[in-house]
Amino acid sequence: MVQNAEHVLDHFELFRGPEYQQMLANKKKMFENPRETAEVERVREWTKTPEYREKNFAREALTINPAKACQPLGAVFASVGFEGTLPFVHGSQGCVAYYRSHLSRHFKEPTSCVSSSMTEDAAVFGGLNNMIDGLANSYNMYKPKMIAVSTTCMAEVIGDDLNAFIKTSKEKGSVPAEFDVPFAHTPAFVGSHITGYDNTLRGVLEYFWDGKAGATPKLERKPNEKINFIGGFDGYTVGNIREIKRIFDLIGIGYTILADNSDVFDTPTDGEFRMYDGGTTLEDAANAVHAKATISMQQWCTEKTLSFIEGHGHEVVAFNHPVGVSATDEVLMTLLRITGKEIPEELSRERGRLVDAMADSSAHIHGKKFAIYGDPDLCYGLAAFLLELGAEPTHVLSTNGNKAWGEKVEALLASSPFGKSCHVYPGRDLWHMRSLLFTEPVDFLIGNTYGKYLERDTGTPLIRIGFPVFDRHHHHRYPVWGYQGGMNVLVKILDKIFDEMDKRTNVVGKTDYSFDIIR
Amino acid sequence: MSSLSATVQEVLNEPGCAKNANKTQEQRKKGCIKQLQPGGVAGGCAFDGAKIALQPFTDVAHLVHGPIACEGNSWDNRGSASSGSNLWRTGFTTDMSETDIVFGGEKRLYKAIKQIVEKYCPEAVFVYQTCVPAMIGDDINAVCKAAARRFGRPVIPINSPGFVGSKNLGTKLAGEALLEHVIGTQEPACTTPYDINLIGEYNLSGELWQVKPLFDELGIRILSTISGDGKYRDIASSHRARAAMMVCSKAMINVARKMEQRYGIPFFEGSFYGIQDSSNSLRKIARLLVEQGAPDDLIERTDAVVAREEERAWAAIEPYRFRFRGKKVLLITGGVKSWSVVAALQEAGLEVVGTSVKKSTKEDKERIKELMGHDTHMIEDMPPREMYKMLKNAKADIMLSGGKSQFVALKAAMPWLDINQERCHAYMGYVGMVKLIEEIDKALFNPIWQQLRRPAPWDDVADDQQGKAGAKVGTQTTGFTADPIVAARIRRAKKICLCKAVDLGTIEDTIRSHGLTSLDAVRHQTSASSGCGDCKSRIEDILAAMLVSSPSALLQVAE
Repeated sequence: MVQNAEHVLDHFELFRGPEYQQMLANKKKMFENPRETAEVERVREWTKTPEYREKNFAREALTINPAKACQPLGAVFASVGFEGTLPFVHGSQGCVAYYRSHLSRHFKEPTSCVSSSMTEDAAVFGGLNNMIDGLANSYNMYKPKMIAVSTTCMAEVIGDDLNAFIKTSKEKGSVPAEFDVPFAHTPAFVGSHITGYDNTLRGVLEYFWDGKAGATPKLERKPNEKINFIGGFDGYTVGNIREIKRIFDLIGIGYTILADNSDVFDTPTDGEFRMYDGGTTLEDAANAVHAKATISMQQWCTEKTLSFIEGHGHEVVAFNHPVGVSATDEVLMTLLRITGKEIPEELSRERGRLVDAMADSSAHIHGKKFAIYGDPDLCYGLAAFLLELGAEPTHVLSTNGNKAWGEKVEALLASSPFGKSCHVYPGRDLWHMRSLLFTEPVDFLIGNTYGKYLERDTGTPLIRIGFPVFDRHHHHRYPVWGYQGGMNVLVKILDKIFDEMDKRTNVVGKTDYSFDIIR
Repeated sequence: MSSLSATVQEVLNEPGCAKNANKTQEQRKKGCIKQLQPGGVAGGCAFDGAKIALQPFTDVAHLVHGPIACEGNSWDNRGSASSGSNLWRTGFTTDMSETDIVFGGEKRLYKAIKQIVEKYCPEAVFVYQTCVPAMIGDDINAVCKAAARRFGRPVIPINSPGFVGSKNLGTKLAGEALLEHVIGTQEPACTTPYDINLIGEYNLSGELWQVKPLFDELGIRILSTISGDGKYRDIASSHRARAAMMVCSKAMINVARKMEQRYGIPFFEGSFYGIQDSSNSLRKIARLLVEQGAPDDLIERTDAVVAREEERAWAAIEPYRFRFRGKKVLLITGGVKSWSVVAALQEAGLEVVGTSVKKSTKEDKERIKELMGHDTHMIEDMPPREMYKMLKNAKADIMLSGGKSQFVALKAAMPWLDINQERCHAYMGYVGMVKLIEEIDKALFNPIWQQLRRPAPWDDVADDQQGKAGAKVGTQTTGFTADPIVAARIRRAKKICLCKAVDLGTIEDTIRSHGLTSLDAVRHQTSASSGCGDCKSRIEDILAAMLVSSPSALLQVAE
């Protein structure tokens, strides 16, 4: 065999060896009833045609390569943002393993999260016992300060009542009566991970503000000067929240970051395992009701949360994942309006630097066509930034974007001459994107790791911005918000543009007359 | 070193240069090189000039003899395109160390040449002298001679160490090296009556290839190019060309003139920047070739090609007229001849509000006046601060310039397009001009410029960044100040003659009170222009302006 103990080959090399190649070829020939290569090729080419695109877009029941995840993922993401909080997903344990691996693969950090591990009998008789035992075990084994309960489809389909279950569990002594157990129903068959984020955050706030599920009186709002900040479901949460804190501190604004998971997804390696780290303190979460206003960076992640907050008497403002100069200006101007503070010189300079960098490089981005996919707010923010740079966001696609989102993006595209030939595709998937890339090619694709298949398939270079990014490390540590964040996004885009330029000019003796040192 | 200084003297006294011809004996001795001002910002040195002039020879190994500074900072910094070898991009240097400087670097140089020849087998090795080995007395001529004999291949010494002078001088010295060691050392495989040389053409971004198809169509053969996409063999046999075009650059005039002298190759100075210039150049080449014995029909065929290409180019530019209406452009160019681009920009509907005339001849200036009218800003040499202020206030929508002015433009929030050597696009010939217009269009309508000019939203409108910056500059100097008295005082204080420190006000008053009409008279009265003579043209301009006694023209001269 090719493999031997003296020199062990990894999977990159091993299966290229003649023995394996022969084996695979034989298997195909003898057992797989292969089609004619020419026929395969013909169909492959056909899937690139406008005719196929039409059929593809007429697709009704099937979603192929979805660019979204399910509600509980967002629930876990939001839950770990609170101090000492253990996310507890009521339902089958397999789902929960997915959330943990999904988040860990992106952030390269352990994700602590438990499940009530419902089995067949629970599905038939209801999951109450799993809740009772589950809460007791979690409480005793992992010593959390709070357990945030959410649900998988299984519990939702049989109609488990979280409020009643948690109350019963407390009565049965699973956890002390005063122990905090907020909850949210987060079925995967409604919405996506951004909905789950929304529901969970709302659930937590409702718990603290409206009397801890009937255990205490509702909080009475005593207005103060603080600002609440909500990031939304965000793959760059580590870098972004730290950047936002720096900006708030620079301006001198008192703030509460709600669901601050920037530390728990970036714990230091110093010999101590931190199951919980940082996060919004439970006290702060409760006191957030007194704030002057709440800022959400992602409208479509926080619809229910914001309307809940608004109902408690303070101003709410939502942005759409603001990236770039104008978008950041808008955030800062809103903060100034609300707080009456002034922008410090430091931020003015950062703004000037971003403008300067954009001007230095504008010629290379100008008129380039981009396809973007991802969560609705991210798509909106990036499209706006591209327009600001004079690029064309030709295809803007979001599987979990709804009609209202589509209309908002359309309005954005209509606001710039560079958006003239661009279109928005709410509720579409990456197989739709494939057709778009073949029939209306663009220069670059912006999306998450899954975009690499599209990149390979269509030859459109992928700029990795979004969630999840599994196959590149540590991008989540760099902010994409604020002027410095805008700089990071700009550099990411430029790096790819120049990489492509080099790739297109690097054939020795053929194209390398333009393989230049200075770009 | 005596031979080097003799060569320097010789190239500085270039009879082919119109500017030089007008000088007095004394001025000529000083040469056309502006003395460097210690403490001031300076451009490249003679080594750099020689290196960038010759680097585009593609199949030559360019070996820099000196410490790492010289090659370390200049390796592969030229945006020329090669259709063949990539050897020219490889950085070769002797990387001299302390020991070499104590014991001399000649042996090291010899070994380096040997290794290059053994490993790369180049058509030739160009050895560049730099300050340090020149100072310690390394005789690169002797080393090159020995190496050439030993290795049986041309090893050419390029004797232009940095300290001898400016970049421009270095370019000329590079030309001298070619004349002395390369040109005429080989014979071409065949010759035709249609053979030409292009001198001072560097094929930046491959722009020569935009014009070459027209030559091919006309049957004109580019026998050699100095030095864009150049091959050693071609330049060695370039003495058999029938005519030569000196492309856009006086820097290599010594090569053109001496080749005319030695080999009877007539030359003209032309350019392929701008539609009109391209046409003129093609026609001149055709005429020279016919004069040299090529069949007569070449002229007719050239006319036909020119007419066709012009029509195409104008048609392609036409659609921009509407988009460019009311847009103002400021043109700061180095090598590119100002007026030829002006014509094309105007044709595209742009208003040219200013153009640099730093490298333009008197005829060029006349031409600019003709094209743009008298109220045009003709900008001589401009320090960055002045340029910044001008851009801030010039009400131009875009500036076209070399990379040197890029940052000045950007900081002044001025849309900017690179038209000099480090640019990414090729602007030569008819298609090049269309490309330039396209790029202007992109730059003009890029949303970043609005962003650049908009103050941060938290800055009060009354105290926006523009205002702040404008105020800061306004207190320092001239011309654009709101207060007319201050403006006049600042304007009059502008130094016209730097040697004798004579300002504009003094010269104007003297001309007016004495009714002077000639430069000599002004010199006599004010002693302006009795030093280096650099300000001669400025005083002539003042005289001319005062003769027509138009205040606005006078103002323009001053600005």
